[in-house]
Amino acid sequence: MITPEISWIAIFPELLLALGAAGVLLVEVQWKPDKSVLGTIAAGSVVFAAAFTVLQWVDASDAVEAGAVGDLVAFSGMVLMDGMAIFGRFVILAVTGFGIMAGWRYIESLGRRSAEAIALVLLASAGFSIMVASNNLVMMFLGLEVGSIALYVLAGMSRERVRSDEAAIKYFLLGSFASAVFIYGVALLYAGTGQFEVLAIRQFLSDTLLLSPAVALIGTALVIVGLGFKVSAAPFHSWAPDVYQGAPSGLVGYMAAIAKIAGFVAIARILLTGLSEFELNWLPIVAGIAALSMLLGSMVALVQGDVRRMLAYSGVAHAGFIMTGVVGASTSGILFYLAVYALQLVGAFAVVSAVSGPANAGSEIDDYRGLSTRSPMLALSFAVILLGMAGLPLTSGFIAKFGVFASAWSTGYEWLVIVAVLASVIAFAFYLRIIVVMFMTDDEGDDLPVPGTLRWVLGVAVVTTIVWGVLPGSLLRAATDALPL
Amino acid sequence: MVETLLFVVMALVAIAGAALVVLARNPVYSALGLLGTLLSVAVLYVVQLAHMVAAVQVIVYAGAVLTLFLFVIMLIGVDKDEPSRDETLPFQRWIVGGVAAVIVLFAAGLTLFGDFDWVPAASSDVLPEATNGTIEAIAEPLFTDWVLAFEATALLLTIAAAGAIALAHYRRREG
Repeated sequence: MITPEISWIAIFPELLLALGAAGVLLVEVQWKPDKSVLGTIAAGSVVFAAAFTVLQWVDASDAVEAGAVGDLVAFSGMVLMDGMAIFGRFVILAVTGFGIMAGWRYIESLGRRSAEAIALVLLASAGFSIMVASNNLVMMFLGLEVGSIALYVLAGMSRERVRSDEAAIKYFLLGSFASAVFIYGVALLYAGTGQFEVLAIRQFLSDTLLLSPAVALIGTALVIVGLGFKVSAAPFHSWAPDVYQGAPSGLVGYMAAIAKIAGFVAIARILLTGLSEFELNWLPIVAGIAALSMLLGSMVALVQGDVRRMLAYSGVAHAGFIMTGVVGASTSGILFYLAVYALQLVGAFAVVSAVSGPANAGSEIDDYRGLSTRSPMLALSFAVILLGMAGLPLTSGFIAKFGVFASAWSTGYEWLVIVAVLASVIAFAFYLRIIVVMFMTDDEGDDLPVPGTLRWVLGVAVVTTIVWGVLPGSLLRAATDALPL
Repeated sequence: MVETLLFVVMALVAIAGAALVVLARNPVYSALGLLGTLLSVAVLYVVQLAHMVAAVQVIVYAGAVLTLFLFVIMLIGVDKDEPSRDETLPFQRWIVGGVAAVIVLFAAGLTLFGDFDWVPAASSDVLPEATNGTIEAIAEPLFTDWVLAFEATALLLTIAAAGAIALAHYRRREG
């Protein structure tokens, strides 16, 4: 009898998340407990999964030190337990925990549907977390679908608002189309190389001289398009503003951050590991996407009157900045940027949900007038987060930007770095615009209370933005150690 | 020879069915066009010796999924006197159609005249009789090498159930 090769340790965090989701659903059906019980189950599964990820990290670094790299390949090549997978998974789990905390007020307001919302968040994280660990491209697609489909539903949770329905439908249609493009690219990569596994594709391409690699190259292009959509890089970004605006604001930060983390780790894995032999072919495309995203994102963000749309376009620009890390072939730069940006994104949307209500659509910039007197803590932390996103020196955003720009410069893409710096300067303008509105306009409206869970999220976002800006050593070392196989 | 002939006929039927899906005014005809496409693709699978996939195609897609489509169409009701819709995209439609036509022609030209390496590695070391599309040939890898992918689809089913409740429950409470 043939037995499958099962290694529980490689997928235990995902297993815990799935168990947490199942537990939340079943407990809700059986006992209809207080919302805090459901929250505790979810928090427990996320915390234990994160703790287990640390164990995986120790395990993986031991294996690398002992030279037993083969131990890091699990489930007959389906998933990996390399540094990049574990780092990405840890960031995903952190974002999940803070995302649930930031969206807790919204989740509570859902009444009987809150169990489903928590379960969907946990399942989305499980999917994306499998995606960052995938070696097999089909597995990667499955992880992508598990995560994306859960996010489509979350985008439409607020049924009382048409905008939420619109966001969900747009996200669903365009997202399914992008998934189809991605899986078609995977099929063509398979047709061109005969392999599904990223490591095997790398092996095949370095061993074989393909005289006419057109099939594999078309596959590469389609994979870039499919994943470019998921990380909202221009010109595949058209869904982002509507979804960021329409989806429940308590959950948008989580949704945007998690899709970016998983998408960029997948891009790094496929392009930098699997298709590094095709570098000359995809580098110009990725550089073009990066330049377009940075310029378009930061320029269109300038003219937005809605903070959520502004953050969506700034997300497009950030996708471009992270793409320069792909051009520079620096996985540590990409991972550092992702960790820093993901936490800032969750923090920024925590502020948005505090200012314009957790379920509300849109967040006009006028809502932020005089926020410094209405809620000094909120205004101050939003200012720090925005300056971090803008990449002011002594914030983590600066170190992140410096890392990816330096790597792109050293690979000979000087023009891209110049474009990137230019785009960062433009981006400063709209981040400053919000800060000016918050601090230099008159007080309008009542004082804003900040719920307890949001305080924690904001505190973490602010502290990490400053601490990793002044003393980035710890995170930099972890990101540098988080090597892909 | 038979294979080529069969391929050409079935490919044409598949394309005609797909065109009918888009062009038919009556949604029931669209569904029937989809049925034609699905069945002819199933025949193409048989030609490729993928019997299992062909059977699944007929049972799942042509059977279950299409029945579901027809149910939805019938439930919503087929209105034959549908007023002519306002053309909100006067010229974009033609631009997209033109671009799509160029891409299809380009791809067809590439396939006909291009110099391609299709599956350089996979075809060489796989025995044709082993991939005869039998249930054993599919089940064995599915529950050994691909077991994780198989299990991950369980998450998808859970999401479908939880998502349907999450989205539908709101309206029911309203009504």
